[in-house]
Amino acid sequence: MDIKTAEKFMEKLVKAGTEYGFEECEASFASESSMSIDILKGEVASYENSATSTLSFRGLKNGQMGYCSTNILDENSIDFLLKSAMENCEVLNDEDPQFIYCDEDNKDLYYSQITDAYAKNTYKAFEELGLKLEKAILALDKRIDAVDYLSIACSTGPYLIINSKGLHSYRDTDGISLVGTARAIDEDGSVKSGGHYWIGKDIDDFDQEKFLQKFKENLIGKMGAKSVKPGTYKTVLKAEAFHQFFTVFFGNFFATPMQRGLSLLADKEGTKIASDVFTVREVPMYDKALTKIPFDDEGVLTTEKAIIDHGTFATALYDLKSANKAGKKSTGNGFRSGSAVSEMPTNLIVEAGDKSFDELLEEVGEGIILTDLSGLHAGVNAISGDFSLLCEGYLIENGKKGRPVEQITVAGNFYDVIKSIKSVGNDIINLPSGEGEFFTPSVYVGELAISGDDEEN
Amino acid sequence: MFNDSDCLRILEEAMSTTADFAEVFQEVTESKSVSLLNGQVIRAATGFDSGTGIRLLSGTNSVYVYSSDNDLEVLLKLAKEAAAAIKGNDKGQIEALKDLCKTSMTRIEIDPMSVPKKDMVDFLRKSSDYALNYDPLITQVAGSIASSVRTAKIINTRGVNTEDTTNRIRLSVETIATKDNEKQSGRVAPGTMKGYEFINEYPIIDKTKECCDTAIRMVNAGYAPSAKMPVILSNGFGGVIFHEACGHALEATAVGIKMSYFTDMLGQQIASPIVSARDNARIEGEWGSYGTDDEGNTSSDLLLIENGILKNYLIDELGARRMNAKPTGCSRRQNYSYAPTSRMSNTYICNGESDVKDIIANTEYGLYATQMGGGSVDTSTGDFNFAVNEAYMVRDGKIAEPVRGATLIGKGQEILKNIDMVGNDLQLAAGMCGSVSGGVPVTVGQPTIRVSSILVGGREA
Repeated sequence: MDIKTAEKFMEKLVKAGTEYGFEECEASFASESSMSIDILKGEVASYENSATSTLSFRGLKNGQMGYCSTNILDENSIDFLLKSAMENCEVLNDEDPQFIYCDEDNKDLYYSQITDAYAKNTYKAFEELGLKLEKAILALDKRIDAVDYLSIACSTGPYLIINSKGLHSYRDTDGISLVGTARAIDEDGSVKSGGHYWIGKDIDDFDQEKFLQKFKENLIGKMGAKSVKPGTYKTVLKAEAFHQFFTVFFGNFFATPMQRGLSLLADKEGTKIASDVFTVREVPMYDKALTKIPFDDEGVLTTEKAIIDHGTFATALYDLKSANKAGKKSTGNGFRSGSAVSEMPTNLIVEAGDKSFDELLEEVGEGIILTDLSGLHAGVNAISGDFSLLCEGYLIENGKKGRPVEQITVAGNFYDVIKSIKSVGNDIINLPSGEGEFFTPSVYVGELAISGDDEEN
Repeated sequence: MFNDSDCLRILEEAMSTTADFAEVFQEVTESKSVSLLNGQVIRAATGFDSGTGIRLLSGTNSVYVYSSDNDLEVLLKLAKEAAAAIKGNDKGQIEALKDLCKTSMTRIEIDPMSVPKKDMVDFLRKSSDYALNYDPLITQVAGSIASSVRTAKIINTRGVNTEDTTNRIRLSVETIATKDNEKQSGRVAPGTMKGYEFINEYPIIDKTKECCDTAIRMVNAGYAPSAKMPVILSNGFGGVIFHEACGHALEATAVGIKMSYFTDMLGQQIASPIVSARDNARIEGEWGSYGTDDEGNTSSDLLLIENGILKNYLIDELGARRMNAKPTGCSRRQNYSYAPTSRMSNTYICNGESDVKDIIANTEYGLYATQMGGGSVDTSTGDFNFAVNEAYMVRDGKIAEPVRGATLIGKGQEILKNIDMVGNDLQLAAGMCGSVSGGVPVTVGQPTIRVSSILVGGREA
């Protein structure tokens, strides 16, 4: 379904919605085209190509917002969408009003960031790169047995919102991702797996040498890993691990969970919740971000702001509904997850410290580096902040990276961890997170409880 | 849904170059759900989604294209692009289409799609009202009912012509207890392929009480210790240990590319001799069941492990080509936007001979995990982890104090050999499983079992 056809349908739908009895209503259309290849054993094992779109309708009646979605755009769909959304309105009794919004000064919102580089993403280009990369990974070390997974994908798509208050909001995005994992077998038969990733806008920006160097470190560096004695260790969360860790608890900074009593950060805005050295900013139009986000899915302009400012909780993220309940203005963080709107971050940046990764290790002296955390979907209590997770990494011995470590768990509490951060590195990485990306360095988080196997030491 | 002749036109386009196999997968899914928080209806949604996937195979090469646009011309164009992309040497044939075979493992008395949302709200409100008046420590209660009906039609070049319908309904209740700065939850989330009668018959008050009791016990509990120790895993959702530590490593997705620690081990002892396990997609009304898999094969009841000996893998079409074996009717996908691959359905450890009381009485010191969270596994190394939501210490053969915050970790290939007691109280529990072909409903299950030694990752040394 092309955007022009969808737009006509949406205009008709919104008009029909008002006539049907909704006080206000809104239609959104998201479309995505994607292409990917998987390389396995010297050939393209699979190739995928897709085009999908979803149309969502929401209508306001007596302060209640009813939702319905479909991917079929025809006359029958209009009846289905309106009838279902109205039925949903009738059973809702949410005390907090919702809004269909349009800023009179910003009715026509338009932001396109699709570049010419996207056209380079051809099946042939991906195949050439993938096959070359697989060979190069296998040549990194003789212990590498197989590249288990090597996938290159790109996607692009427009997003359009039209509502009965006159909002016409268009945004699009595109990007490429490359992910590889390989398996290596040690002389004693033990197996390790590891790999690396890359995200970008332009395939020509992919730096193979840099990628391979990191890939090797992430796989071969693990060889010979064993457990450690249980105990309390000074801990550095490497940038990737800190990214995983912070992202899983970040929902506690959203206003809706706070208002529902599901976040311990409720009523803590303006108070000290973290170490002085820890600052997290949201920069929707960050120049280094692949995706820039000038407005949210409710038609509210986004703003640059500190979320944690030198340890002080500066602001929660609000959408129109939660902002109204708090007597505040939306922070431009209302984004659709599925069809419903809820708070999501745009581009998050942990302010870098002045130490390199090696200098962080020198500061620690004796301790542990955690490079990867597993089981984040289950091993955390997102509300209380408690976590107990399988992880791997390296010992820190005499201020330097020591032997690799596996089969250990790390346990603690998120809120305690952010309070006890000692130092922040300057080795920033970026990974997709929320609507945009999360830029984070490695962080020396103080002491954490590590479980390990005594018998292996 | 397309008619057969349209599907055949798509297949002809797909087979116009060097594919040896092609398949058209069409899907229509209707869904409805309501969610309550503290008695307020905060969400009511309805959805209708449909789309088509076209898969081409040539040896072990595959091409998958899909679209949510069901226009025949769009799909013919996609099939043509797929045909241009497939790599192979031979051009396959299209066999005559068989008569349509319709299947369903659903047995419905009351169609959930016909139930007014108000009835769903009234049911959930009973749970909310009860929980919020149960104890001052209970500060939150969330509940939801979600139901869907999915019809998947598959036509392929071997003449397969099937249509499977699955009606699923899932109820979820979660209560939260708050004490000082601490919050802990208790949760039940049964899922089934029965009709709305399942909701009507569900003992919602008793189960809400159990959730409240768990949340209160856990908010008052101390942290679990950190040490290797015997661990007793309760029946039902305890089966997530088998799902993670063993099930994923038996899928052709990993075995077919020799990425599993159970590769080439048929007939070998991979588990304790007291362990037998099955993957049975044919249990009528069970959450993880289906009549026909997402490649058009009849689903099966597969013996995976018999007295510790590996008997079968879970094999899909592509895995079968890689393993020189036959598909076992276990190919699944979240929806049309995923190519299918081998997945579990209702996977469980079979009943053993021990009584639960004896398992506890025979444990001098250890952990008794009664409610599991989820987990994950790396099938190439065997490293697995899963979270424990409710647990107790066992001392001198008796259940002692509750503990929280435990994660169990280990190597999949070792843990199965360390099962030293298997109970006789087999129970199944609903869950969702995420893998390369998306999130699919699965059932895990087991009787109460004891593992002689697992590393418990807690906080207290």
